Amino acid sequence: MFEWLSDNRALIAAVIIFALVVSFIASIILGRKQNALTENDEVFGDPERTKGGWHWAVCGVSALLLVWFYFSWGVGRAYYPLAANELCQVAKLEEATSPIRAALPIGSRYYKSTLLVSRNADQLEDLRLTLPTDVFSSAEQEELRSLIDQISLLIVNSSNPQNLDPDSIARLAALSADLDALTATLQAGPDGLQPTEEALAQPKWGTTHVEIPVLPMTPKGVLFDKVALEAQEVAGRFNKIRNHLPANDALIADIKSRIEAFKAASEAGTFDESTAEDRDAYVKAVERIFKRLDDGLIFPAASLENVNTAIANLEDAKNDARGGLNIVDALFLPGDGVVKSRTQCTEQGSARWLPKPTDVVATFMKLANPDLENGGGYRGVTLLWWKWLPIADVVGFLVPDWIADIWPGEYASHGPDGTIEPNFKDDLLAFAQGEVSLGYIPMFDGHIWDSMFRVLMALALGILLGVPLGLLMGVSKFFKSFFDPMIELYRPVPPLAWAPLILTIFGIQDDGKIFLLFMVAFAIMVISARTGAVGTQLSKIRAAHSLGSTDAQILRNVILPNALPEILTGIRIAVGVCWGTLVAAEMLAGTTGVGFIENIARTVSDYELIWVTILIMGLLGLILDLIMRWVIDKTIPWRGKG
Amino acid sequence: MKLTLKSSVVAAGVAAALSTAPMTYAADQVNAAFFLEWATPNMIAKVDKAYDKAMGVDVNWVDFTTGTAMTEAMLAGDIDISYSQGLAPFVTAIQQGAPLKMVGIAVVYEANDCFVKNGLGIDSSNASELEGKTAAVPLNTMADFAFRKYMAHLNVDISTMQIVDQAPPDGAKSLADGAVDMACVFGGVASKAAREVGTAIMNKQQKVDAGIGSFDVISVTEKFATEEPELLKAFLEATEEANNSFKGTDAEFEKIATASGMDVETTKTQMADFIMPSAKEQMEQYFSEGGIAEAAAASLGLVFSDASDGAAIATTIDGSFLE
Repeated sequence: MFEWLSDNRALIAAVIIFALVVSFIASIILGRKQNALTENDEVFGDPERTKGGWHWAVCGVSALLLVWFYFSWGVGRAYYPLAANELCQVAKLEEATSPIRAALPIGSRYYKSTLLVSRNADQLEDLRLTLPTDVFSSAEQEELRSLIDQISLLIVNSSNPQNLDPDSIARLAALSADLDALTATLQAGPDGLQPTEEALAQPKWGTTHVEIPVLPMTPKGVLFDKVALEAQEVAGRFNKIRNHLPANDALIADIKSRIEAFKAASEAGTFDESTAEDRDAYVKAVERIFKRLDDGLIFPAASLENVNTAIANLEDAKNDARGGLNIVDALFLPGDGVVKSRTQCTEQGSARWLPKPTDVVATFMKLANPDLENGGGYRGVTLLWWKWLPIADVVGFLVPDWIADIWPGEYASHGPDGTIEPNFKDDLLAFAQGEVSLGYIPMFDGHIWDSMFRVLMALALGILLGVPLGLLMGVSKFFKSFFDPMIELYRPVPPLAWAPLILTIFGIQDDGKIFLLFMVAFAIMVISARTGAVGTQLSKIRAAHSLGSTDAQILRNVILPNALPEILTGIRIAVGVCWGTLVAAEMLAGTTGVGFIENIARTVSDYELIWVTILIMGLLGLILDLIMRWVIDKTIPWRGKG
Repeated sequence: MKLTLKSSVVAAGVAAALSTAPMTYAADQVNAAFFLEWATPNMIAKVDKAYDKAMGVDVNWVDFTTGTAMTEAMLAGDIDISYSQGLAPFVTAIQQGAPLKMVGIAVVYEANDCFVKNGLGIDSSNASELEGKTAAVPLNTMADFAFRKYMAHLNVDISTMQIVDQAPPDGAKSLADGAVDMACVFGGVASKAAREVGTAIMNKQQKVDAGIGSFDVISVTEKFATEEPELLKAFLEATEEANNSFKGTDAEFEKIATASGMDVETTKTQMADFIMPSAKEQMEQYFSEGGIAEAAAASLGLVFSDASDGAAIATTIDGSFLE
């Protein structure tokens, strides 16, 4: 079932997107209708005005999801599931012809030959001007000048179409003919071509870690793939063609021997160190340019014209053959299109870092699978599941070991026959260490539970300690003045700054992480409880007092209920901030937890996993917030009506 | 009228979107990425413009702080060649389908160390006692890679260990506090702190004997490799020449120190650990069929993801430009 859902995620997305568009439009229509009904009866600023309006929530969520679907290429994949595969084949053709295009005006404004001529001519001119007169004798200077002239002559010879040897002409002609043949193939269209069985058996777009399958899955794709393969061969031949002219061959041999002679002279001569260095450097510079020119990379511009035209025609044919793909690419796949690497084709642009909603859900389902043996969970731990927790573990955690140590007597030691008779002290130690069988209770387990446990523990501690202290600070001069500086001093410090301290004090277990979250929750709770207590109307307190209430009764029955709205709002804020701090807390010493997954995924930029953790944290925060809103509705329905 | 205006605007928008076919032109300059504070002999060639002379074009050097940033810049088309990109960011990029290629080995250096707490009495001879102990490892890094290599070499079953994900400074601190029994770290400061309270599980010689080491690579975009093979060859040749002509004189160290933004002492210490394999060594040992580059990239890939395909990564490793 899950397999089927996973394989058909594009289809499912298509249905969802359609439903989203419908609900987006319907909610706007409904909203406008309702607004028209009630507009005239409502007073601006009346809190009742904000009641209801679920359709606007639907509208907002649909809009958000639609934007997400669009920019993650989810819309494109849903309605054109084979477009990326076809674009991948087009990318193959582009890659195959890129060596030819890069050497021609169509790909790089100038012929590569033109660039080589201008670059090397400039550098030869530089050499001519910078010829050091103090380290070479005048005869040598003359020789070097003539050498440079000879090298320049290489460029001149190569650039003249009349020098081109018949063999090169024939090869270039064959090349243009082959490119024209490819153009014709593209123009003929994909009729009669069929994708192979192997290609059709590939996993669909985005369902495995290979993003876009490489083998062509449509007739059009097969066409591009076929042309790309042939183009690659043509490009290989193009790269190998060299302009070896008979006129240059003799020249090259001559220059080579003269440079060698120069080197030998430099070596034989007795020059001081700096002179020798200068001589070597100059001759080396001459040789370097010569070496760039002796391998026949420069062609006459006229000789390449046909190839340039042929490749331009091929480009046109390619754009025509893309046909409808052009529109799909431009409208539904925002970004830089499909990029081909050695191993696979991938999405570029927003889709690279924004995984599709359906992929995120699929990754989540994979993590949520409690079957660890079959690839479920993350790093050997389930996402959220349950296990049998030995009660002895809880006891062992609660009962300190030193209780056994202070019990009178000695621990048992092994007797002469090699047996050990445990006494009561040993049993006590075993009990304190949780090494007894006391039965099992079911317990939650997994990354989400571990994170949730940390957050809830920290919140509970923050509320239990923070609210009483905050109330007391609101009513007592001593508490206010004594604790105010401490809390106000630590409160603004970001939790991460505490991290090294907490690591040293608490170690790598849960208590450190809980303490870090507790510090965040505690400050918020103290401040909200204090604000609530201070805000109690004096008349209410005086009324209770005059009716004979004790101090404790006033605190419990007047101040606490009056502070409740502030306290509950404080809890809502604390919940959010605790989830926000969780990633930092689980960075201290990560073993499990949602923040731990996020930290690991970040190191390898695993965007799908990162978005899963973001969504988990967002949704858990939302659920806790909804619970809090329910609690607020039940406990202080009178808020704002006093 | 209003309607026609609207529809013509839409049409113009569609036309503009359709005509955004990428047109990139071969530039007259090559953009190369490098790290500051990473002292390599080719910094001399960079300063002396030996690369520009050898390649015949201007080489524009841009410094980066992470290998991942190099990948991003190469994907954006701003960088053609990354000199000394870490193996880890390279493999990560390949796993995500980035069109990059490994064409050379820049630097070979010692693998990151795993330090065992002093007083536990555990070293390489009785490493199996680490089973059941706690180790701080920065997961998905080269230190993680080294940790697995050590444990595999010493026959320690890591599934019995409790592995805690900690950044190197935190790991060193936890080792000092006794919260963990072993800490795998990288970086000078964290290593120094961990060395105060712990001992490396394998020493330098043992690591060399076991063939556990790290190396940085020279990576290029597929586009640059197919379009400008001559320039790439010239770049690698110039690098080779720079490595060969490095004599270790004070003037050279000073030049490298200035170019990499460090003082001379630190430069010397750092370079003492570096080995620059020659083109011949690279071809024979690293880029041969099933060579070190392939094997290391494949096993590192498995550290990052169980679904990693070593054979696929191997297709992006290409020593042919070294010839």
